[in-house]
Formats: sequence, structure tokens, C-alpha cells
Amino acid sequence: MRALDYLSPYLPVLILLLFAGVLCALIGAAATFLGPKRITAIKETAFECGSPSIGDSHSRHSVKFYLVALLFVVFDVESVFIYPWGSLLRDFQAEGLGWFAYVEMLSFMATLALGLVYVWRKGALEWNP
Amino acid sequence: MNFNPGDLYGVLPALLLAAGALVLLTSEVFLRPVEPDRRYQAWVAAAFAFAGLWASLAQLGDPAQPLFAGAAVSDGFAHIVAAVVCAALFLSCIVAFSYLESLRATRGEFYALALFSASGMCLLAQATDLVVIFISLEVMSLAVYALCAYLRRGKRPAEAAFKYFILGSFASAIFLYGAAFAFGASGSTRLADLAATVRSGSATTLVYASAALLAAGFAFKVAAVPFHMWVPDVYDGAPAPVTGFMAAGVKAAAFATLVRILVSGYGEGGRWRGLIVALAYLTMLVGNLLAVPQRSVKRMLAYSSIAHAGYLLVAVAAMGTSAPRADAAGALLFYLASYGATVIGAFAVVAIIERKLALSGLGDDLSSWAGLSEKHPALAAAMSLFMISLAGVPPTAGFMAKLTVFRSAIEADLVPLAIFGVITSVAGLYYYLRVVVYVYMVPEAKADAVQGGRLLSAGLAIAGCALIVLWMGVLPGSFAALAQSGAAVFGR
Repeated sequence: MRALDYLSPYLPVLILLLFAGVLCALIGAAATFLGPKRITAIKETAFECGSPSIGDSHSRHSVKFYLVALLFVVFDVESVFIYPWGSLLRDFQAEGLGWFAYVEMLSFMATLALGLVYVWRKGALEWNP
Repeated sequence: MNFNPGDLYGVLPALLLAAGALVLLTSEVFLRPVEPDRRYQAWVAAAFAFAGLWASLAQLGDPAQPLFAGAAVSDGFAHIVAAVVCAALFLSCIVAFSYLESLRATRGEFYALALFSASGMCLLAQATDLVVIFISLEVMSLAVYALCAYLRRGKRPAEAAFKYFILGSFASAIFLYGAAFAFGASGSTRLADLAATVRSGSATTLVYASAALLAAGFAFKVAAVPFHMWVPDVYDGAPAPVTGFMAAGVKAAAFATLVRILVSGYGEGGRWRGLIVALAYLTMLVGNLLAVPQRSVKRMLAYSSIAHAGYLLVAVAAMGTSAPRADAAGALLFYLASYGATVIGAFAVVAIIERKLALSGLGDDLSSWAGLSEKHPALAAAMSLFMISLAGVPPTAGFMAKLTVFRSAIEADLVPLAIFGVITSVAGLYYYLRVVVYVYMVPEAKADAVQGGRLLSAGLAIAGCALIVLWMGVLPGSFAALAQSGAAVFGR
């Protein structure tokens, strides 16, 4: 079947994933069941770079974070697009499409920059409007 | 692969609309300190919509040619759909101007979002690659989700937008799943390569699975039963001008892509026809039945939109047979144009009633339409015209549209489907004419439902829609010829 042929190069990846998953489960289970547990008060305290926790961990976050998160995702995805473009630029050039790829990415980034200007002027980056 | 700058001319309507949206967003943030009045935005948006309309009509005579190495296509079918979308946007901008002004809700991004969604719709009609289809679909959908929630006060807009967003994302995921199967079967996302795989007869299980999933994803977007659950709440909760634009534009673009995927991707064999026939039966039945008990005119129009998706699916099903395929595509385009003009007009009248209701906090009910004819005879006459056009009574566009669709179904040997369509549209008369009865015959019980002021622009848009509806109904020749020229790409 052609479809299976198409997917067969991914078989090693699948095996690796399975192996990693089984190994993680195995180590976790072994530590849980075999490891001795002698808990003392001093062991329960934070150590090295930790600090004693204050209050409940289920605290409320400011709704302003959602805007920051959203903007982060927008500009993060931009870099996701730039990376493959950067790694393929020489291939584009070899095919005579170098300028096309360059202008294409410039127009993409110009549009996104316009978005950044819009967001900025709109005041979405002000923490205390 | 080679890039031809001339290809950009092929997607000119979408480019114009996107440029308009960027202009509006920029002017929104830079002009606001100097010019706090945002009324100019409606006219800028309308101007760009008109430019898009002009561009798509100007390209109509051009020969069909693939763009961007086969990722999209520039043909008559896409140009007609783009023209319908741009005309719908143009009329909706004018309606929205009066609606938003009277509610004092003109805030920045309304028209920019509408332009973005329309540019997605134009691209959707041109796309011949599953990835391009998905991107255009999301450009269209995300903007429309935001437009639904535009009036943030109250629970209903939020509910509408949230429901639409969640279910719409689900439909997009189903579409992507289907696209992945199609890629697995053919090793390419181009519809032409998919068609070659279908013809060769290999990987049939994957092909069937992908056809079913892709059709399900678009059945959601066109509001076909059993993927219609979101329609009443979303149409009800969204602002009326947005609902009209959604009903006209989203439907036109989604049907164009559905046809493109089924005919160009799954090919001439028409094995998919049974699936579409079943969807059409269900959609016509359920849409018309559920519209009957509705007291809210907006909800009634939402169920009517489901029913109309059923009639459009009849045209799609008729495209499964090769002989009448071009006729059926022409019927589909004619139906999309006539439904768009009618539904935008109807929702424009609803918008005029709704803004009073929105200010007084009343629910939308037939009783608020009682006695409309006494104080606003022109509005009452226009609403009655749109209702009888939706019902499919001559001499309106709706009648000619139904006639051509059912004729193409009979040509495609789908006589039972055509008969069922005629029966359900007769049943539809009941709930459409009930609005007319309330408007003309039930005496006015409450205070005037129409809030004065800012009626001129909405009135102009309604008059324009009424003119198109009558024109397409009385002298359909030129429109039918346009639709046939657009459909010629499906002729063999």
C-alpha cells in the first residue's frame, strides 16, 4: 500500500518515542516503588535556589497576561516561519528564486511590523493603561 | 517552480481587500488623536469593497489560468464568487454604518475585520491547494468570530462568538484531518494531484476517509445538517449586519470551496454524490421544519439559512454528473448571488428593528414587527419582498434561483431530490409569510419599533438589495449569462 510506504521512514521515530516513553515510565515506577522514603522536616524545606512558598499555588493571574501571551504567540509564530525560510534560502537562490524569497519574507515582516505598530499605538503594550 | 509577478494580478480582489484592512487599522491608530470621529471608516471600507467588486468583474473575461504553481486558480467561477462577496461586503458596510452609529458602537476595528474576512473569502474561492484553502478558511473565520462578538454588552454576543469559535475550530480540525489523509493518499496537497490519485484508484480507504472529513469540515461552514447546531445561536447573537454578511459571504465562499474540492479534487467520477444528496435531503427537511416554530425573526432567518444551504447542496449534488455540470455550477452561482442580495436586505431591515430593541433591552419577537406597514410602508414593503424571495415566489430572485437549481437537479437525474426540494420550499411559505402577515395585518400593539435617525444609508442599502432581488427575478437574463460564463470552467 502506497500510503504505508510513504509513512515508513517515520517508523524509527515511532520506535524511539515508544522506547523513550517506556523507559520514563519504568524509571518513574522503579523510583516510586523501590526507593526508600525517609521524610524529615528539614528535607521538606526548599533548598539551593528554591524559596519558601507563600500562599496558595492556585492564585489568580491578571487578565492582562492573556494579551501579552497572545502577542507573544503572534511574534513567536513569525520566527517559526522565518527559520525554515532562512535554512532554505540558498536552495531558493540556486533555483533562481532568491530575490522572490527575499521580497516575500520582507513583505511578510513588513505586514507583521505594521501589526506591531498597531498594537503599540493601540496601547496593548502598556501595563497600566 | 517559477514565480510570475503577473500571478498577483489574479488575486487582485483579495489583495485590495487586505490592503484596505491594513489602511483602516493604520488610520485607526494614527488618526484617532486628531480625528476622533470614526465615521469615515465605513466609507473607506465600502470604497475598497467596491474596488474589489470592480477588480473581480474586470477579470471576468480573462481565460482561466493557474496561479502560484497551481496553488490557486484565476477562473470565472472564482471571479463571480469574489464579486458576490465584495458586493455583500459593500452593502453590509452601508448597513453597518447606520446600525453602529445609532447604537454608538463605532469602535475601530469593525470594518477592518470585515475586509480581512472578505479577503479570506475571495482567496478561498480561488484556492486549489489544501494548505491555501486552510489558510484562507482561517483568515475568513477568525475575523468573523471576532465580528460576532463585536457588541460586547450582554451575554448573547459573547455566547454566539464563543460557540462559533469552539465549533468552528473543531470543524477546521476535522478539515485538517481530512487534508492529512488526502496528503497521505496522494503525497501532495494540490487538488490536481489528489484527482490523479483518485483516478488511478489506489489508496481508496484513505481517499474515502479524506473525502468524508473534508466534506464534514465544509458542511459545518455552509451550515448543513447535521452540522448546523451553531447556526441559530450565532445568527441570533451576532449584530444583524454581521449576520447578513455571514449568511451571504461565508456561505458563498464555503460553497465555492466545497465544489472546488469535490469536483477538482475528487473528480469526475462523482462517487461523492451520494454523500451530498443525503446531506441535501437532511438539510432541506430539518432547516424548514425547525424554522416553523420560531418567534424571533432572526432565529427564523437562521433556520432559513440552513434550509437554503440544502437547496444549494442540491446544485452541488447535480454537479456530480458530468453532463449538466456547467449548468449546475451556473445555478449554484446564481443562487448564491440571489440569496446574498435577499438575505443582506432582510438582515438590514432586522438591523433597523433590532437597534431599537437593543436600546430598550427587549427580545426579538414577531410582535415587535406588528403594524410596521402603518408607519414605515417602504420598510414593510421591502421586508415582504425579501420574505417572498426567500420563499421562492415569483417575480423575485429567489424564484429564479430555485427554478434553475431544481432544473439542473432534474437534468442530473435527481428527480426525487428536486421534488423534495419543491415540497419543502412550499412548506417554507408558512413561516416566511407569517412575517408579512405580522407586518401588514396584525395591528400595532407596542410603541414604534423603529428608532429614528440614521435611516438614510440603511434605506439606500435596502433599496439596492430590493432592486437586485427584483431585477434578478424579472430580468434574470444578464445575471444568468454572467453565472453561466463563470460556470463554464466546469463544462466539458
